[in-house]
This record gives sequence, structure tokens and C-alpha cells, in this order.
Amino acid sequence: MSTPHPAEPVLAGRGLAKRFGTAVALDGVDLAVARAEAVAIMGPSGSGKSTLLHCLAGIMRPDAGEVHLLGQRIDALGERRRSALRRTRFGFVFQFGQLLPELPAEENVALPLMLNGTPRREAVKVARSWFGPLGLGGMERRRPGELSGGQAQRVAIARALAPRPAVVFADEPTGALDQATGHETMRLLREATRHNDASLVVVTHDTSVARWCDRTVEVRDGRVQQPVPGAA
Amino acid sequence: MMRTTLDLTWRLLRGGGRRNLLGSLLTLAAVAVCTGLLLFAVTANLAFAQRAHADSWRHPGKADAHPVMIEALATDHVRDEPITVVDLAALKPDAPAPPGMPRFPRPGETWTSPALARLMKDLPADQLAGRLPARAGTLGRDALIHPGELVAVVGRAPGDPAMTAGRNDLSGVENTAAPTRIAAYATGAATFSGVYQALVAIASVLMAVPLLVFGGAAARLTVARRDRRLAALRLVGATPGQVVAITTAEAVITAAAGAVAGTVLYAAAIPALMHITIAGGGWYASDLWPGLAVVAAVLAAVPVLVGASAVVGLRRVVVGPLGVARRETPPAMRAVRPLVLVAVVIAFGAVSGGLTGLGRTGLVIMLVFLMLAFLAINLAGPWVVALIGRITVGLARGPARLLAGRRLMDDPRSAWRTVAGVALTGFVAGFLALLGGVSTGTKASDELQLTVPPARASAVAEQIKGRLGGIDAAVTVKPPSTGDPAPDAAGVDPPADAAVVTVAVRGGSAAVDRARTALAAAVPGQAATTPADQDRGQDRLLSDLRTGALTVLVVSFLIAITSAGITGASAVLDRRQAYAMLRLAGTPLKVLDRARRQETLIPLVVMGGGSLATGLFFAAPFAIGFGASGAVTLAAFVAVGFGGIAGASALSRPLLRSVTTDPAPTPD
Repeated sequence: MSTPHPAEPVLAGRGLAKRFGTAVALDGVDLAVARAEAVAIMGPSGSGKSTLLHCLAGIMRPDAGEVHLLGQRIDALGERRRSALRRTRFGFVFQFGQLLPELPAEENVALPLMLNGTPRREAVKVARSWFGPLGLGGMERRRPGELSGGQAQRVAIARALAPRPAVVFADEPTGALDQATGHETMRLLREATRHNDASLVVVTHDTSVARWCDRTVEVRDGRVQQPVPGAA
Repeated sequence: MMRTTLDLTWRLLRGGGRRNLLGSLLTLAAVAVCTGLLLFAVTANLAFAQRAHADSWRHPGKADAHPVMIEALATDHVRDEPITVVDLAALKPDAPAPPGMPRFPRPGETWTSPALARLMKDLPADQLAGRLPARAGTLGRDALIHPGELVAVVGRAPGDPAMTAGRNDLSGVENTAAPTRIAAYATGAATFSGVYQALVAIASVLMAVPLLVFGGAAARLTVARRDRRLAALRLVGATPGQVVAITTAEAVITAAAGAVAGTVLYAAAIPALMHITIAGGGWYASDLWPGLAVVAAVLAAVPVLVGASAVVGLRRVVVGPLGVARRETPPAMRAVRPLVLVAVVIAFGAVSGGLTGLGRTGLVIMLVFLMLAFLAINLAGPWVVALIGRITVGLARGPARLLAGRRLMDDPRSAWRTVAGVALTGFVAGFLALLGGVSTGTKASDELQLTVPPARASAVAEQIKGRLGGIDAAVTVKPPSTGDPAPDAAGVDPPADAAVVTVAVRGGSAAVDRARTALAAAVPGQAATTPADQDRGQDRLLSDLRTGALTVLVVSFLIAITSAGITGASAVLDRRQAYAMLRLAGTPLKVLDRARRQETLIPLVVMGGGSLATGLFFAAPFAIGFGASGAVTLAAFVAVGFGGIAGASALSRPLLRSVTTDPAPTPD
């Protein structure tokens, strides 16, 4: 079952190309993500899926092609503006290691809000409000080292969503987790993004992760294969 | 499965790459600085012992029942610099040659230090050379405390009035001694050199304690860099023995290279160190070279200590494969830490009153207490840093300060290592900076005084007037004080049975030197001195204390600078993954950079600056109107030191940039 695409995509990449030296990572990729839609990008190692995520998220500038966020072109912006954009409009969940070990969980979640100028007290208050819904009640003051892998990943989800981003990018978000915890993490990630009207772009090589998304895009040798309908 | 394991092992072995190399280089640099400074701390003691040795023969010991010679000591001045004059007369033909001379001086000849010889040639004879018998030779290095020292050894006949007349010690720094019949030259350190040796021992403790703390940290840095790799090695089945052996070998080799580099560094610094002025002069290069035995001992000990420290650091990894992967809330620093310090202070307060009467034992107890105090401060330091961290977190509004404060709370020991030296020496340096200039130049330097028996006072005055022909001077006699307790101009009471003949000279220092020369033999064994001369010894001691304190402060800053570089880099390396992720998520580099900077500067300003300010505050009552130059010097030192620390911590900025611009958000 696939969700109908609204006319105006939240995020769109057109004709994206990127090479590293002689190696072609992306070779003319088109991808559009609708509001609150979840898209899985799959492919074997070296297929260019991570490069695609980096180009879409404004981490990397493509050699050719354009990236639009809410109708606005973002790939041509300078590093400072793209950096600000990543801070305010995008959220990120990585495989592991994205939490600062010396900060308690709630401050890890509050950090992006504070970076955006929210006063500390309020940022921490907002951050705390995410712990209950994600099943993290009582873990607010714990350090990342005192959390299990699944709990740490949920803190990371809270951190990605706390600034109310338009799009959440996740790169192998369950890569370091066992299957059951991975499932639970994906369920929470999907629910939380849908709840907040945020789109979700997941890079993975795991079909069970892709199954949580509305549709899957196969990338092979820097090109998008024909769309495969996902099972939501 | 097999393939994965092999692949993993290969990646682990190779994977360290440039970043682990950087870790090793940092350790090498830290060990080099530690070794160099350790050599300095050790050599300083040896150098002062050498000085004490070169000084000891000038001070005649107790009179001997079977004397072979007479020795006396006086201090004259030229150009406001002291000249040490040793008078010697042989009683027997086999009187031993003094150090630095090939034979015993014959009556009527003068042997001088090279510096005095030069001065005698440069100045007109009526200003200097005229005071002494003809020059017969140059004193060797064994007779001299420092290369620029002005020393004259004058040979006399036993019946010479100079060998029978007493000496007046108005300065209180042992620079005169009455003629004494002795059998051999004294070898033990004179009291005053003993004071210097005790002070340099204290300074060495001040330098060595932070060095050892910091050296241990540097040793563990190699291990810290490899924690993850080693834990992974354990996971793939390396035995604890293998892991320990590999890492210890790495640490020892790095440390050996660092120790050699440090020795070279120290040797290269000797020409600069020779210019540190203590007791009126710089140093002989040979005094500052510790000798092969010490160098060999240091070169052997440093790698062993680093290796041992590395083994201790490894324990965590070897205990369990999962040991280092977890990161938990560090247990709060126990309040017993500051309490130990309080206990030591109270104990010292209770004991200190009785120390002055104990002589050498008292000094030893004092040194032990000083060491205990430093250890206690070292124990309390991290607790205070953690407290500063907690306060910083509490007050933080922005993300950078919050991060900095959390980091201080997370690892207060590493922040303490950076500021420890500055905090420990800051107080002393601040205190002495203001005291340094207390009495310099406040007393007359153109009023020459001679102390004479009252009966001869007017005769001497008349004789002097005759000698002073052509010099614009007024001669007055002050009779022994009868019922008038007021001290004389110098602030020193003349002996009750003595009168003071004062010669006020007009015409500047050349005229004063001419008058000194004219008065040379007016009273046997006595050189005319000005009130300023009499204070010079005390002034010199104070200024030496200040030089010493500033030297230790410079060393502390050096340690702090190296330490700031190391902790900064290792903090970045430790968190490289999180930083890279934060950067990808749009965190501006400048926030991370500001956090990194504040992590070093907040404790430095609070603790280092605090102890300096406290020292200045306590010295202020003694220094109203004086010591401005000392304060300026201190301010310059502190500015350079703080700048150096900020600069060293900025070195990790490119590192931060490089770990955060890595576009692949995957662990390396």
C-alpha cells in the first residue's frame, strides 16, 4: 500500500550527481519526499545511498542537480546557511555515538534547541516533554553511558525531533541494535515523525527497517532503480 | 565469519592511522617537556650546591689550635656592585692553595676574578685598582660563584694590620668575617648559601609535583587513544598479556624518544638559563649541565615511569572487554579531599611555632609539610574544579558554557592537571612580585661610612680629609650614642663603643668610587660602605626570591601550556564521533570551539588567577608605593602565560575541524 503524493513535496532532489575523484557516487538521481512521508533508501555498500542522504540534508554539495526544501533551493547556499538549516529544519539519527557522553540525556536533547537560541530553562523543559512519550520516563538525568543501546537511540530520536524539523534523516538507525530493539526503535521513530508532521528519510540495508516506511527507493551504482512499493 | 574477524583485526591494526600517530606525538612532546623540566629541577639543586661549594672557602670556620694561615673576608663596592675581598696570610710555608689558585698568594699581591680584572683595566686606577695591591693572577672557576662575580684574593703578611683588625658586619648577610687562624678552608655551606639551597629545594618540589602528576597523565594518553582498539582486540581474543605487552612497549618506546628529545631540549635551553640572575650573577654552563650520571638516570627512569603509568591505565581495558565502552556518571568527588587540605594546614599551624628553634631539623619538617601541603592541594584541586564545573553548569545560559561546565564536572582531574602548577605557584609569585622592590634605592648611596673606635674618630677624620684631596666631600663624625637611642642613617646601630665617620660625596658614582679608593686603607680591614650598600644583601635576597618565584611560575606555565595542548587534543579525539555528528546536525564549529576554550580558561582564571590575586592581596600592605616594577613583571608573565595556554589549547582547533569535516558519519 502506498500513500498518495501531495503535489508539493517537502524535500526534492533533481538530477543529483556527485563524484569522488574518478568514482561516481551519484549519477543523476531524482527523489521527492512528501509531507510526513517516510522513504527508505536502500542499496548495497558503495551504492551511493549515504551520499544521497548527505546531498539531500545539505551536508554535501552535489556536483550537479538541485535540492529544494519547501520550494526553496538549498544546495547553492553557503556552508553557514546550510548549517543553520540543518540545525533548524532537519533532524538526524545516526547508527551510534551521536550523544555527548558528559551531558545528561535531557541536555543532549535540549542542545539543538539551545543552539537555535532557546533559553536553557525552556529548552530543557521541552526536552523533558519528549521522554515520557518515548518510554524514557525517569531517564532524564542519566548519562549516555548509563543507557542501553535502544534507550540511547530513543534519546537520539527525541533530540532529532525536539526542534520540530521538517525532515528527519536517519542513517542505519538500528544498525547497532538487536532485531527486537531495532523494531521498537523504528516503530517509535515512525510514530514520532508522523505525529509531528515530519517527513522521514532512512538509509538502510535492512529490509525489515525499510518495511516501516511508506516506500523504498533502491540505489545502485549511483542511480535510482524503479520504485518498489513498501509494506507499511 | 572467519573473514569478518580477519577483516576486523586488519582494520583495527591499520585503523589507528594518523590519529593514533598524533596521540603518540602528543605523548612524546609531553614527555619531552617533562624530562626537560625535571632535568632543570634536579640541576637547579646541583647548581646551587656547586655555588655553595664555591662560596664556602671564603668564610673562615672556627679558629684552629694548629693554624697554618689567617683568613679574613670583607666586602667592598664599585659602581654599586659588591667586591668580595678575601685576605690571606700564611703562617707556615705549607699553607694550602685556595680553590681556583695554583698556589698560596704571596704578601703584596692580588688575584682577581676575570670580571674584576676587566673592571680594573677599564676604570681609572684612582677609582678601583688603587685600592688593592698589584694584580698577580686570575682566579679559576673553582673560586667563583658565578662568571660575573667580582672577587679579589689579597696576600698579606701575618703582621699586616688588615690581618689583625676586626670586621664590621652591618649587612647581616655574612659578607664579612674577622681574621681567623685556620688549618684548612671551610667546605660546608655558609648559612646564607644554605638558605638558597633550602629555597631551591622548595622550588624543585613546587615544579616536580605537577610534573609527576602531568607526566603520568601524558603516559596514559597513549593508552587512552588505544582504549577502543584494545578493547576490540580483547573482544577478538587477544590475551591480556599480549595487550599489555603491545601497549606498554609502545608507551615505553614513545617515552624513551620523548626523554631523549627532552634532554636535547634542556641542553639547548642552557645558554638561555645561564642568564637567570641569582645572587647578583648568572651561571656557568657547566653548573647547569647535570652530568652524565644524572642524565643517564633520568633517561632510564622516565620511560620506566611512563611504562608503569601505562600499565596502570591499561588495567581498565584488560579487566573486561566491555570495560571501556561504557561511560557512566563519575562518582562525585568526596568532600574528604578538601578536608585533608584543611587538616594539613591546621597541623602546620600547630607545629610551625616551634620550628624556628629546631635549625636543620626544623627545615626538614618544614619541607615535609610543604610537600604534604602540595599533595593535599593536589587532592583538593580536582574537587574544586568539579565545584567550578557545577557552578558553571548552574549559571550556563548558552550551549558552549554548558558543555564546558559539564566537561569540567565529567573529568575534573584533567582540568586540574592543566592549572595545577599555576595555582600552586601563583600565590608565591604574586606575593613576592610586590615585595621585590621594597627598599631598593631608598637609601643614600653617596654617603660613605667608616666605623672607628671613638678615641680615634677625630684623628681618622683628619686623616681622611687629607686623603680626599680633589674630591668634593664633607667629613663628619658622629660620636657613640649616649642616651640617644635613635639609629643612624642606615637604620643600624653602630656598636656602642664605636663612632661613625661619614663622608658625604658629591659628584656621582665615579666620585664615590674615587672616595672609596682614597679611603681604602684608612681603617685596616674596613671598606667604607654607604647605607645603600648595607641594604644590598637584603635587597638581593628579596629580588632573588622574586626571580626564583617567577622562574617556577614560568615552569608552571610551561607545564600548563603543554598540558592544555594535550588535554585539548585528547578531548577532541575522545569525542570525535559525537563532534562529527553534531557538526553534521548543524552545530556551528565556533560553539564547539568556544566550549573547548572555556573548559581550559575557566578553571585557569578562577584557580590560577585566584591564587595570584590572593598573593598580591597579602603582599599589598608591605608594598604600598613600592614594587610597581615587580607587579608589572608579574603582569607580563601572566599575560604571556595565559596567552600561551590559550594558544596551546587553540592548537586542537584544526584537529576539531578535521574530525568534524569528515563527511562520513560512520565511526573510523
